[in-house]
Amino acid sequence: MLGRERVPLVSQNPSALKYPLIKIAALTKRYRRGPVILDNIDIDVEKGEFVTLIGPSGCGKSTVLKLIASLSPVTSGTLLVDNMKPEKARKETSFVFQEATLLPWRTVARNIELPLEVSGVPEGERREICSRMLKLVRLEHVSGHYPRQLSGGMKMRVSIARALAISPRILLLDEPFGALDEMTRDRLNEELLGIREKQKFTAVFVTHSVSEAVFLSSRIVVLAANPGRVHRDCAVPFPYPRNAETRDSPEFQRFVTQISKELRAVNPENQ
Amino acid sequence: MRTYLKWYLPVLTGLLILGLWMGVKDAFGIRNFVMPSPYKIAHAAFVERHVLLAAAERTMIGASIGFVAAAVGGFLLSVIMGMSASFRLSLYPYILVLQMTPVIIFAPVIVIWMGPGLSAITVITFLICFFPIVANTTQGLISVDRNMVDLFRMISANRFQEVRLLRVPFAMPYFLTGLRIAGSIAMIGGTTGDVFAGDASGGLGYLVLVYDGQLKIPELWAAGFTACLCGFVFVTVVLGLNWLVLHKWHDSIIKIE
Repeated sequence: MLGRERVPLVSQNPSALKYPLIKIAALTKRYRRGPVILDNIDIDVEKGEFVTLIGPSGCGKSTVLKLIASLSPVTSGTLLVDNMKPEKARKETSFVFQEATLLPWRTVARNIELPLEVSGVPEGERREICSRMLKLVRLEHVSGHYPRQLSGGMKMRVSIARALAISPRILLLDEPFGALDEMTRDRLNEELLGIREKQKFTAVFVTHSVSEAVFLSSRIVVLAANPGRVHRDCAVPFPYPRNAETRDSPEFQRFVTQISKELRAVNPENQ
Repeated sequence: MRTYLKWYLPVLTGLLILGLWMGVKDAFGIRNFVMPSPYKIAHAAFVERHVLLAAAERTMIGASIGFVAAAVGGFLLSVIMGMSASFRLSLYPYILVLQMTPVIIFAPVIVIWMGPGLSAITVITFLICFFPIVANTTQGLISVDRNMVDLFRMISANRFQEVRLLRVPFAMPYFLTGLRIAGSIAMIGGTTGDVFAGDASGGLGYLVLVYDGQLKIPELWAAGFTACLCGFVFVTVVLGLNWLVLHKWHDSIIKIE
């Protein structure tokens, strides 16, 4: 069993809050009488951080997101979002799913408006927010299209725009770019950071890709599997804004190698 | 497939069948009351056109009201069952029982309750159309994508919003499949209704009985073809509706380019 080591966390915006925006302490999750999915997890996410959870399949990284979103109940331990129970904090939390989950009978614009419509935002304001979001993800030209007319990358951008329409403080992303080709993924990574410069949200991101994790995050949490637990918690030393050149630097490559090693250490096939 | 072939081939098949029909009839000397020639049937249809049209109108009215009632009622019941699992579990077995009992067995009872005439014909059509609509629509309402349900939970949608904005639109293709099946059997309901519940002003089913009794065999065939045409009207209307609702977004309508 590996010990848990913690690298001191370097937050972008320290001391803004007395409590972390997301507090996870001694958290355990199991489904019914099934195996333990998450065992005694501690992760604090400060406001303004971009935290990526990475780990082998079955380490429960998506489950962490589901718990923060209160789509699934906590078995034991503490989970506070903005010092509230997660279900109370839904209004400030948005979820970007693995698939774009756009409603195929609604146009792009109407899909982005959906969360606003549900929470009763008047139509004029809805339109205004929607056109701002379309501009943010650079999709003004397809606002009247239906999802089936879009490419995979465009669908994901619409999905992100829909998530951001309610101006959430927290954005949870569950492998949103996993199904895309590498070039599209790189471009969307750059776009996501660009959007974050403008919208200022705290992000918790789940991925299988180390270079994606390093490029996006201010902090990477490496999870081990069976049961899921925190293996390493590392700050990423590169300043924002980052761009395509960031990936080319030798420091970046070295950091990717380092995280890959950590990941290999927890891969059940190597144990 | 070239477009003109889509018209040309079925017409060719039709002509072949007609030719074969006449050839076989002549070659074996089949009598008119066993199998009339196409010409005889067309002639009978022309002579009896007023009677046939009046009967068709009557059957169509009964079948249409029954069909529309089944569509509306079936849809509403499905939404209720889609919203509540306990409702679904309590009701569904009895809807199945209703469906598994051949409608012919209900028919005399309905005539006893309602008397012969239009209302009985309507109820019989309703019974025959109801099940495919309910079965399909309920299936659609409960097979919504799991992620979409999570999305609606995330945006704090209430139950009615979830049904109105997610489940009902998601179930539309299923509902329309139900309507298509119901539309193609509505005429069975209408004519069965006629046979059991038709009165002197009877529809096509009743007319078939009368012609049969009078040994007017070409006329009987003509009535059969009229019923077939009415069935096409139903299916065409449903296909039109299907296109109207789905053509913008659903893959079943979108042509492969």
